[in-house]
Amino acid sequence: MTPSRLWLQLETVAAWLLGILWALPLLYAFWAAFHPAAYAVKFDLAAPLTLANFIEAWTTAPFARYFVNTILYTTMTTALQFVLCTLAAYAFACHDWKGKDLVFSLILIQLMVMPDQLLVVNYQTMTALNLVDTIPAISLPYIASAFGVFLLRQNFKQVPIALAEAARVEGAGPLTILLKVYVPLSKAVYLAYGLVSISWHWNNFLWPLVITNSVTTRPITVGLSIFGSPENGVNFAIVSAGTLMSVAPLLIGFLLFQHQFVHSFMRAGIK
Amino acid sequence: MQIEVRGVSKRYGKVRAVGNASFSVEEGQLLVILGPSGCGKTTLLRLIAGLETVTSGTIHIAGREVTDLPPDKRNISMVFQSYALFPHLSVRENIIFGLKVRKVPGQEIERRLARVIDLLGLGDRLDSKPGELSGGMRQRVALGRAIIAEKPVTLMDEPLSNLDAKLRNSMRREICSLQRRLGIGMVYVTHDQIEAMTMADRIVLMRDGSIIQDDVPENFYEQPANTFVARFIGTPPMNIIPLCATTGGAALEPGGEILFPGIDGNRFKLGIRPENIRIAEQGRPAVVTGQEYLGSDTFIACEINGHELIVRTRGRKTMLEGTRVHLTWDPHTLCLFDAQTEQRLESLPPGRKEG
Ligand SMILES: Nc1ncnc2c1ncn2[C@@H]1O[C@H](COP(=O)(O)OP(=O)(O)OP(=O)(O)O)[C@@H](O)[C@H]1O
Ligand SMILES: [Mg+2]
Repeated sequence: MTPSRLWLQLETVAAWLLGILWALPLLYAFWAAFHPAAYAVKFDLAAPLTLANFIEAWTTAPFARYFVNTILYTTMTTALQFVLCTLAAYAFACHDWKGKDLVFSLILIQLMVMPDQLLVVNYQTMTALNLVDTIPAISLPYIASAFGVFLLRQNFKQVPIALAEAARVEGAGPLTILLKVYVPLSKAVYLAYGLVSISWHWNNFLWPLVITNSVTTRPITVGLSIFGSPENGVNFAIVSAGTLMSVAPLLIGFLLFQHQFVHSFMRAGIK
Repeated sequence: MQIEVRGVSKRYGKVRAVGNASFSVEEGQLLVILGPSGCGKTTLLRLIAGLETVTSGTIHIAGREVTDLPPDKRNISMVFQSYALFPHLSVRENIIFGLKVRKVPGQEIERRLARVIDLLGLGDRLDSKPGELSGGMRQRVALGRAIIAEKPVTLMDEPLSNLDAKLRNSMRREICSLQRRLGIGMVYVTHDQIEAMTMADRIVLMRDGSIIQDDVPENFYEQPANTFVARFIGTPPMNIIPLCATTGGAALEPGGEILFPGIDGNRFKLGIRPENIRIAEQGRPAVVTGQEYLGSDTFIACEINGHELIVRTRGRKTMLEGTRVHLTWDPHTLCLFDAQTEQRLESLPPGRKEG
């Protein structure tokens, strides 16, 4: 065996180990959720399977409402991001105007600011807008995504100018050119960005926790945390069932779009 | 008059891409803008299209001033060098893109589409994406998109430069016959003198942003405005050799036989096309320095007084390097250029003598 092959095998083993280590919590959640509470900390292959934990979790907390809230919040955020970032990216990639570089560098600076740092300021803004404890309030701080503007701008810049010029000669105005040339040619990027954005906002916790305080607005992450907090007494089986329910849509989505997902993260450099 | 360009200039900062260009295109005429790379052909075409704004000058299309109008208000269609087909649309959608944007009624679109498909033979590829087509087919689609607009003027920027030589020949003829049949005015940009000579009703030759000569093709060959034109048109190009002053007139070499009596040889250059020189028993003595066999012709390089002359002979000729030969020509075919300005003299100085 040559040293390089040995190295390759070591790498494979290491990759598997890391993967299993990373997946353990999820695997544990599966174990605990599908077995009676007594088996939550006891491994026994003969343990009986059950769905009782799911039923109990579903009935003790308003999960259905939480799901609706999360879906509303993520679709609203992603849809508004698409509209806003597309328009901004178009302005940056395809049009010349005074101060363009300055504005763009300001947007890039936004990339460096962690959203958590702005928690207080954002809360004040939402108070001023009288939007505290509403679903739009969870979305608003994210819709002007610097990352989205940057990603789409890079992509629009790769579209040959001749295409836009050809469309112009054929009588297309700026908006038609955007919608009929640039957007369709960037379909793959929209899909990738959409997936990243949806998964990120589905899992978002801190800001929703701060800005919401009622069942009608709370997304599932916040709901789950209340459901699983020690005041309610810790039942690992039921908490696991609740957790699995809340990540299920994402997990299924990931399995369906696995290829695009991996691709998009590689392309996007991870946010 | 279909297009009239008057005193048009275009500057990019310090770079003058087009300087004071004036020319016109008659109805149904095919005008070729010809010139070496970087001379401003594309810029001039884009100025006519309205994709660039002029620094000064005016442009009229179909009798209307369009200098400040956007491209879609100029009543033109355009074919781009890269074809600029929309990769996400099918051939059909590409061709009718403009009609749909302009909200032409569906029936009218179908009628025009049927005609264009018929003209270009695209019938069985309507649902393909441009990426699935060969270069020649893509070219046809780009042509189709220009033709279906039914504009009186079509602008083309080196539309054949991405095709191989054989396809280029056939597409050249196709474009020409389309243009004649449809009776559209066309401005066609190329750097290929053969395309220019074969297609053009009129040629505008540019160099460094300026128009050097604006003429019918045959005059470019027979009466080039200056040595640049003379050497740009024709393969191999015209031979240009400086004359020498000798007692009594101008000759090819000091003390040689006088070609033009009574003129100062140092002030002129002689021009002669390779096919107008013959190798004969008598004439100017020259030495063979090389040859190129092309099948139908052989180009023989000769040297007189250190200056190279290419001679074109029919068929296959073998001549060893260093062979002494005699060259002769018909004096009508000689051109005389001013050595300083490089301009051709309209009439030969009197008293010329048979060579
Ligand atoms: N957008 C621009 N900005 C600055 N300079 C430009 C621009 N477009 C063209 N130029 C300059 O103008 C000159 C003419 O360019 P143009 O593209 O018209 O040449 P061309 O004759 O079409 O050449 P080619 O045969 O290579 O296509 C060149 O020197 C070029 O560098
Ligand atoms: Mg060009």
